Amino acid sequence: MPDVFQSFVYINWWNILVTMCNTLITFAIIKKFLFKPVRKMLAAREEEVQAMYGNAEKAQTEAEQMRSEYTERLAKAKEEAAEIVGSATRRATVRSEEILKESSQQAAAMMKKAESTIEQERKKAMNELKDEVASLSVMIASKVVERDIKDADHERFIEEFIDKVG
Amino acid sequence: MNVEINGPQVLGYLFGNPNLPITETMRNAWIVMVFILFLCIFLTRRMEKIPKGKQAFAEKAVIMIDNLVDSTMGPGCRAFSPYIATLLMSSLFGSLATLFWMRPVTADLNTTLGWALITFFLITFNKIKYGGLGGYLKGFLEPVFVMAPLNVLSEVATPVSMSFRHFGNMAGGLVISTLMMGALEVLSNAVLGFLPVPLLQIGIPGVLSLYFDCFTACMQAFIFSMLTMAYVGDARSSG
Repeated sequence: MPDVFQSFVYINWWNILVTMCNTLITFAIIKKFLFKPVRKMLAAREEEVQAMYGNAEKAQTEAEQMRSEYTERLAKAKEEAAEIVGSATRRATVRSEEILKESSQQAAAMMKKAESTIEQERKKAMNELKDEVASLSVMIASKVVERDIKDADHERFIEEFIDKVG
Repeated sequence: MNVEINGPQVLGYLFGNPNLPITETMRNAWIVMVFILFLCIFLTRRMEKIPKGKQAFAEKAVIMIDNLVDSTMGPGCRAFSPYIATLLMSSLFGSLATLFWMRPVTADLNTTLGWALITFFLITFNKIKYGGLGGYLKGFLEPVFVMAPLNVLSEVATPVSMSFRHFGNMAGGLVISTLMMGALEVLSNAVLGFLPVPLLQIGIPGVLSLYFDCFTACMQAFIFSMLTMAYVGDARSSG
């Protein structure tokens, strides 16, 4: 069979119909095998990105919340610490005052005791001095008068005298 | 010598019916379709969340066509994207088939006319859908009723001009390439006749082919798709 050619410029409805069918089939192919999977993938990716953004936002708000919570807690802790320090200081002040008072009382008591001891000692010394003076006087007098006077009488006289003098 | 430029070869007849020829164009169109099918399957095979290589290319292509449709036809027309992609790929690969020793699918008026008629159908359908049948018919009487014949003519001229533009560009390239090959053979025989092969046929047609096949193929595919988008987008906003 010899080669048969169509005309170079030629319109044939059969050919056009075949072209249209071919185009429709190609359209279906491209839609099903190119656009559908690619669009599905793009949509999936967009969804994922959206989800990621959502998660990030959630995490951020959570972090923000935690931060404010911690700030609050920190402020509270500081307040507490200040309170503790304050109460300790107050207690220490009270205690020191107490100690001071106590010690001053003790000191006063000791002073009193010491004073009374001193007084006693003085009295004792005074008495001894009196005795000494009396006996000395008797001795001096007996020497002076050269009289045998009973010691006892003289001692009594002198004592009376000293008492009168003071 | 003889240079013959023919239409597509008839390879056979469907059911032996001489009215239903199977032409070279049809066979090449089917090859292109199979190529597109495998290309799509290859590009979208084993898709992952993080795209790389071919998947990134496929996504880029889809996004690009979507953006093109958005910017030309307005928002809400993404349903047209696969059709635009079909036109782009069929036209581009149908024209570039010439690089693989096949007669370009688009160098057959029936091919481009078929596409143009689909586009024409889309234009008319959208005009009636968005403007109503009355609005569509009234559109022919704008701006004054005496313009009606001219309006009808311009409406009919749309698919005709689109199909002939595309067909003419590709067929012209085919004719020029064929003539060039013949002329170079003659020149080669005259100047370098002592050689067993027409030496001048090597290389020089390739340079021409860069323009007449590669560049024109890309240009026409783009122009045809752009015009389709522009006309259909215009029809949608006409209501």
